[in-house]
Amino acid sequence: MTVSLEVMKEQLNAAVVGAAPGAAANDLCLASVELFGVDGAAMSLVYDGHSRGTFGSSNETSRRLDEYQFTFGEGPCLDAVATHEAVMVPDLDSPHERRWPGFAGAVLDEGVRGVFALPIMVTSVCVGALDLFRNTPGPLEKDQFAGAALAARLGSLSLLDLIADSTAGLADHDDPARTASGEDAWGLLADMDRIEVYQATGMLISQLDVGPAEALVRLRAHAIATNQTARQVALAILRRTLELERDELPHDGTGKGHR
Amino acid sequence: MITTDRAEKRERDVLRAFVDLSTELVDDYDVLEMLSKLTTNCASLLDVAAVGLLLADDRGVLHVAAASSERTQQLELYQLQRDEGPCLDCFAAGKAVNVPDLAAEAERWPKFSRAALAAGFKSVHAVPMLLRGRAIGAMNLFGESVGQLDDSDLELAQALAHVACVAIVNEKSAADHATVNTQLQHALTSRIVLEQAKGVIAHAGGLEIDDAFAVLRRYARDHGRKLSSVATDVVNRKLRADALLQHTSPSTP
Repeated sequence: MTVSLEVMKEQLNAAVVGAAPGAAANDLCLASVELFGVDGAAMSLVYDGHSRGTFGSSNETSRRLDEYQFTFGEGPCLDAVATHEAVMVPDLDSPHERRWPGFAGAVLDEGVRGVFALPIMVTSVCVGALDLFRNTPGPLEKDQFAGAALAARLGSLSLLDLIADSTAGLADHDDPARTASGEDAWGLLADMDRIEVYQATGMLISQLDVGPAEALVRLRAHAIATNQTARQVALAILRRTLELERDELPHDGTGKGHR
Repeated sequence: MITTDRAEKRERDVLRAFVDLSTELVDDYDVLEMLSKLTTNCASLLDVAAVGLLLADDRGVLHVAAASSERTQQLELYQLQRDEGPCLDCFAAGKAVNVPDLAAEAERWPKFSRAALAAGFKSVHAVPMLLRGRAIGAMNLFGESVGQLDDSDLELAQALAHVACVAIVNEKSAADHATVNTQLQHALTSRIVLEQAKGVIAHAGGLEIDDAFAVLRRYARDHGRKLSSVATDVVNRKLRADALLQHTSPSTP
């Protein structure tokens, strides 16, 4: 019955890559329900300066469950974001479980017993969480946890897009879905997960006076606009042959940012 | 031709290295600094030119966690092994990989060998970082001359790698898979922040990345602060790059 990690990676990738614009987060949650033996899944963005809330879910119930955390201002997702650690609650109804009285009461009323929240990181910043809900008590199995960690990683692509869209002054609603561009999502992640990309992100933090997540958003936007990999853009920034402008739109495609 | 004097000195050095590390372990320590010290100690004790420590993330992808030298070229050599190289093989098998003559085995890892030879390295050894039978990464030892490390050197390297495991994953939680992953991820995130902070300082001071690291480390040391917490403040713009640059009048490379 257990699905191997390799198969999970493939199926999660398929969920994200085939998704219609904006639907990748929902599809990732649907795939999570199928793969990890849970009854519902949702993804939240919790990041300073951006609209916080649930933006992807496997169904309406999961969305509502997840939103209780924002209603009550407490819950495993918010704790996972604050601590950068997975928060595992095998039984919300246990007498030892008193961390979130408001949230727990509300979701227990809806029949939820187990809640598992995994942090979603964009570079060094925790920007949200993947929340899994289960109607029966019990821990998440080792493989299911490993799979959920993979889903949370892919979720970072959706959150990156969301931050790009909601970054003040940079919104462009006609922008094609970036995650759904047909590329391999693991390849996209690997391209951004490199020393030179982190160093170049640091240079942009200083140059544009923005946080690390926005800096990566700008780097990636330039890569997409100029049809390069993140690594290529990073190397140009490190060589000082490319400087992005402070007010450059992230995906205007004109290459204005070139010096 | 190890003379008695040299053997005694080495014994003292080994002892000091372990005392150093254990003293730090019982204190509130910084994973980044601890691992960096460990790789530096390892390089001098084993008489190898460079040591790098790679950790795997939850997908089994290797990342640079620490190195005896922060030179960009060397970091790239470790990073390359995400795709191929002795460290990757060592991690995958959970067993040491010894390559006394890199040129003779160049076809085994074409890209890696080319880069390592170009950087002036002729031999490479990799020892696994094992935690309850699970490989969490590997340590890489580069030599500038051809030759196999002897058994006692390899044992010492393995012992230091064990210490590193304990430093990263605190003992109590080693049995819990989720907690181990979280702690590995914490070490890897610290590393990302350090690379970002190098970039901030390099840009603000018009410095090369390699020199930016020296600025960060000097500031942390002189202010009695942890390297990773200084790096975090720089990246979050709580600590202005100017403050660090003024503290360390930029050395002209």
